[in-house]
Amino acid sequence: MSEPELRDELKAPVEPLLPIEKKLIVGSLATGIVLLVLLGLVNYWLGAG
Amino acid sequence: MTDAAIGFAASARGRWSEDTLAVVLGGAILVAGLASYFGVDVLGWTVTTAVWSDPGKALAAISKNYAALGGLGALLATFAALLVVLTAGAAALGERPARFAGAFTIVFVIAYAAWFVGAQAHLAAVTPADQAKFGVSWSLRLTNEGGYIVALLAGLAIANFLPRFAGWLKEAIRPELYIKIAIVILGAFVAVTAAGRLTFASSLLLRGVAAIVEAYLIYWAVVYYVARKWFGFSREWAAPLASGISICGVAAAIAVGGAIRARPQVPVLVSSLVVVFAVIEVLLLPFLAQTFLSHEPLVAAAWMGLAVKTDGAAVAAGGIAESLVLAQNAAEGVKYQAGWMLGVTATVKVFIDIFIGVWAFILAYVWTNYINVQPNAGKARLGEIWARMPKFIIGFLTAFAVALILALTASPANTAKLSAAIGEANAFRVIFFVLTFFSIGVLSDFRKLWREGLGKLAAVYFVSLFGFVIWVGLLISWLFFAGVKPPLVQ
Repeated sequence: MSEPELRDELKAPVEPLLPIEKKLIVGSLATGIVLLVLLGLVNYWLGAG
Repeated sequence: MTDAAIGFAASARGRWSEDTLAVVLGGAILVAGLASYFGVDVLGWTVTTAVWSDPGKALAAISKNYAALGGLGALLATFAALLVVLTAGAAALGERPARFAGAFTIVFVIAYAAWFVGAQAHLAAVTPADQAKFGVSWSLRLTNEGGYIVALLAGLAIANFLPRFAGWLKEAIRPELYIKIAIVILGAFVAVTAAGRLTFASSLLLRGVAAIVEAYLIYWAVVYYVARKWFGFSREWAAPLASGISICGVAAAIAVGGAIRARPQVPVLVSSLVVVFAVIEVLLLPFLAQTFLSHEPLVAAAWMGLAVKTDGAAVAAGGIAESLVLAQNAAEGVKYQAGWMLGVTATVKVFIDIFIGVWAFILAYVWTNYINVQPNAGKARLGEIWARMPKFIIGFLTAFAVALILALTASPANTAKLSAAIGEANAFRVIFFVLTFFSIGVLSDFRKLWREGLGKLAAVYFVSLFGFVIWVGLLISWLFFAGVKPPLVQ
């Protein structure tokens, strides 16, 4: 891909977020935050380290 | 990895992959090192470089059994061994052996010269006692591992001021291969280091899991959203970009690019940005860690593993951070054991790497079933998980397991012998680190950032990395590692 082609491509119309993408983003974040809190609690309770 | 380097790597015709070669070479070096544990000193001729003010006293063979070689003899023996073994490896990868041998000779000479310069007392002496010992009135206190920075700067100078020379060297500029060999060796070093504190080793696993959650579920989602919503990138660009910034740079961008069926150029361009930004991080974050986290060494170490992308740059940053933070503490009279910080950085990074295949599979499933639905298109297969997992991780884990078993079953008298044996292999790990630093520098053409068209990609990277990834990485590292200290030198 040449640089002019890349430049044109990056100016292309924006693709709207699909519902599945929103689910992927929100689901990942929610799962990640819950898991981090749980791991943090385990880390705290075990006094690991 | 630059476009050229990626293209070159992809065109290799050999039956071996870089990962296989890394596992074989790293494993062979470890086996040869462990031979001394069983009474046969195979690697004792390996060269080491001490802090020096008299250059004639800088180099030596690592084992007294080979003292007769002298420093120069040990250096030549080490170079010859690496040249033969790596040239054979390059042939196994499908490259031209003679071309590789010529380029590697130059790469080794420049990289080791940089390492040698970095060990000069004005750069490396740490404590006032050291300065007095070497007869210098001032020092940058970088320890002899400041040579990594010198090697990186040498590589950067070549990449940005001598691009034709950089192109000539490209066949031996393989930072991913060098760091993967080093990481396999590091597996044994980490195990022997951690064997004395098994509670630490087990708690490190918990923190490794936290790193996986952070990289895949938090970073990826936020960066993907930023790229799509704020910067208007298409899905084809946003997914590899989010993977490159969030997970593990080049490897993740390429794996995810393949998984979502992106055009090959997309992950290649993303990868070239990853390398450039990783160099900026290597030059910046370890010094920030020294300034603000010197009393929390393992927070600093985990931060390097979470924030710096690409295996080579992350572990390299961990190495520099360790030398700087330990030097800072030594100057204040607190002497932590070496190896713990590097072990934490490498373990965090390896844990993140393990799931690249799983994440690529998940995205392939989502893309083929919900986004790019095509009636005749192949669906994501479970075999993709194995196909896309970086195999050198198996080498790291095997080396870790074998060395841990040996360390836990060794008698107190044999423990020192085991440490010395792993130490001989570890001398090669240091050399591969130096080669990695130099190679990363040679691949980092900063002019790419100014090229029209890449600016918007670089903007996403900059906003995500410096606005989010680095600071969340610091927060999580603090939550999981604050108060955990490496053991003190007895």
